[in-house]
Amino acid sequence: MRVSWVSTAFGVAASAFLATFFLLPLGVILARSVGDGSALAEVASNPFYWQRLGFTTGEALLSTALTVALGLPGALLFARFAFPGKRLWTAAFTIPFVMPTVVAGIGFLALFGPRGLTGLDLRGTLALVLLAHVFYNYAIVVRMVGGFLEGAAPRLLDAASTLGAGALRGTLRVSLPLALPALLAASTLVFLFCFTSFGVILILAPSPQLATLEVEIYQLTAHLLELGPAAVLVVVQLVVMGGVTLIYTRMQARMAVALPVRAETLPRARGGGRWLLGFNLAVATALILAPLLALAVQALQGANGAFPSLDNLVGAARPSGVLGFATLGTALRNSLAFAGTSTVLALVVGFAFAYAVARGRWHVLDQLSLLPLATSPVTLGFGYLLAFPWLVSHPWGIPIAHALIAFPFVTRALLPALRGLDPDLGAAAATLGAGPGRVLRRVELPQLGPALLTATSFAFAVSMGEFGATLLLVRPRYATLPIAIFNRLGRPGPQHYGAALALALVLMLVTGAVMVLLQRRGRTEF
Amino acid sequence: MSLRLDELRKHYGATRAVDGVTLVLAARETLALLGPSGCGKSTLLRLVAGLEPPDNGRIVLDGDDITALPPQRRRFGMVFQDYALFPHLNVERNVAFGLVELRWSKDDARARVAELLDLVGLSGLERRRVQQLSGGQQQRVALARALAPRPEVLLLDEPLSNLDQSLREALKEELRGLLARLPVRAIYVTHDQSEAFAVAGRVAIMRDGRIAQVGTREEVLEHPRSAWSARFLGHRNLFEAAALNAVPDAPAGGDDPVLLRADMVTLLPPDAPLADGDRASVADARVLRARRDGLRWQLELDVPTWSLELAWEGFARELQEAPREGAALRVLVPHSAWSRLEEA
Repeated sequence: MRVSWVSTAFGVAASAFLATFFLLPLGVILARSVGDGSALAEVASNPFYWQRLGFTTGEALLSTALTVALGLPGALLFARFAFPGKRLWTAAFTIPFVMPTVVAGIGFLALFGPRGLTGLDLRGTLALVLLAHVFYNYAIVVRMVGGFLEGAAPRLLDAASTLGAGALRGTLRVSLPLALPALLAASTLVFLFCFTSFGVILILAPSPQLATLEVEIYQLTAHLLELGPAAVLVVVQLVVMGGVTLIYTRMQARMAVALPVRAETLPRARGGGRWLLGFNLAVATALILAPLLALAVQALQGANGAFPSLDNLVGAARPSGVLGFATLGTALRNSLAFAGTSTVLALVVGFAFAYAVARGRWHVLDQLSLLPLATSPVTLGFGYLLAFPWLVSHPWGIPIAHALIAFPFVTRALLPALRGLDPDLGAAAATLGAGPGRVLRRVELPQLGPALLTATSFAFAVSMGEFGATLLLVRPRYATLPIAIFNRLGRPGPQHYGAALALALVLMLVTGAVMVLLQRRGRTEF
Repeated sequence: MSLRLDELRKHYGATRAVDGVTLVLAARETLALLGPSGCGKSTLLRLVAGLEPPDNGRIVLDGDDITALPPQRRRFGMVFQDYALFPHLNVERNVAFGLVELRWSKDDARARVAELLDLVGLSGLERRRVQQLSGGQQQRVALARALAPRPEVLLLDEPLSNLDQSLREALKEELRGLLARLPVRAIYVTHDQSEAFAVAGRVAIMRDGRIAQVGTREEVLEHPRSAWSARFLGHRNLFEAAALNAVPDAPAGGDDPVLLRADMVTLLPPDAPLADGDRASVADARVLRARRDGLRWQLELDVPTWSLELAWEGFARELQEAPREGAALRVLVPHSAWSRLEEA
């Protein structure tokens, strides 16, 4: 196929954006970490940093193991059986994944915090951190593994049963070996998310013993101004993540070739399968809904225990008198403005990447567009601090950072849709007199509607909830909802906790509403 | 020594997929379940395999009621329409899958796999990944896998439908030979009558969840029970009895439809002697339409003395000259070509 100038232009623009706002900051961090070698020596000789690396790795492995232990049975059951309301369940399972970290964090505080509903105070314990990580990543395992198996496993299990292997033996000899690449891919993704856990730790376990590398980088940068060691830690983190990402792409490649997919109607569960399925759904629902419900209940609880009450919302909306506390109105306005701007930016950049990959010969961009996913937000914010100090107090700093974090999602959502477009349509349009630009506008873009909506909702949700990079780049004037929440949580006093709850409720509702309104059944290619 | 299906029923919502099927399968017999798509034949096969529970009815194997037995304990081998080979296992381990469940020793299993791969002509491909096989090879692996544990009954669900025409013909012959040679009883589901009659000794025609007719190849082909079965098998000369008053040998009276088997009609030159003997009648005919379908000719003939139009199909050598529309000839119809059907 001939390559049009449009895809070339998009490829150049996408590369330029990535080089400027991603590769350059990373390069500056790298240079800083090498420096005169003193920072490197300092970090290497300090057992504290080794401890942090050990803890971060261990915590991520443990979180991954727990998530798999809980998610795998769910995935196997989802792939095997039909049940009433399955579509709704599947959608509900993605809620945690798109919910801002801060919301999830406060949700668990509302359950197990010092003022939590259960009365059980787990704040500052590893258990609570692990629970939040499982909450966050459960859907990844169920959807990646379950979705992978759904197309083929039922028929193969039928075949296995005629050969003497019942449900248990079939699972052991067919489903599990088949699911292995998908399971490993999902696990590496979960590991990456937990390895760079930041907001969850800051909110649920703000103690030095439970600090991840990501938290440590933030502390070194924002509070101790030790930029050299911070840069070294970033590089260490990048090396680990790069290695894990490599495994992930390997596994993804193996997932791509394996199964002959055939759409088919799954049977209803019978007997023991029914109980297993019911138990699994109950546990998953409790895990997903409990923190969000607790948050909503506590946010609407008045100072005197009245329910429902708007006390907290009113409190959050009123100027607090504390320096640097954004009111609900300011924070919401900032959040929406940044999210709107960065969504537009992310759509443009993400589309440029997807178009250049799908229509041009820019295959290398396919891999490159995944890089920001394998880089932590704090790293990005830190890189901007070093490379573009002027961006920090500039209104464009936050939207650019958010767009960079969000555009890989846009690219992933658009790629399958673009690849699925019939190339003959473009050819037909060309024979009817449309040049490449006109083909894009009149033939290709109109067909991308659902995928664009999915991409928009992802980009918007990412920006609304983004916490790590924002925390490093923000100035009080530009405080977003997550920042306003975090600031209030850092202060003692029930009125601040109440205001944080109210802000989190608003953030949760706005994010949820956008996802519900824009999310169509487009598929994302992870 | 028999497999008996007793009044099997299976409903999906309002759809009666299998609606009271009773069949008996003798030892070493191959039975074809023939029917159009959606007639319930695949569902029936899944009931027999135990993959779905029937709503009603019983499945009895050699005197034991196995209706409630799960598929893994029935020892029925099944060849699936798209083969359902395990993509994570190579050819050898696919074929050995059932042997592992039966706790066969490694050596015994290896010997049995080798024997079966030899039987289906795939020796030497033991280590091949199944995705690297052609469609025909995959089909053979699926057959070998189903046969390896020496199943009580072999079930085949449209095993050739995913293959192209020439391969289908070749494999059809191979399957016929294998099924005739092996000491196994089999149920062969297909929508293709040439497959059914080639492979099976007995054929059951299925329609809307019921068995429309069951019998040997000859019984079913030559004496279809209903007009629907006759049409499904490709018969085109179906008449109402009342329309045949002018035909000397046709069964007269009654409301049941009457079938004229075109394969028994002979075409004669226009000057052949007219006769109305004990065994056959000859009448004038005229070609209404002539159409070529590959090597065969399809003619529509008008027989004015009997006030009848009939369809004839055959090779060019059976015709005196290339047929053209309007050409005159004579037809010889033996008495035995006519038969009265039992229902519409």
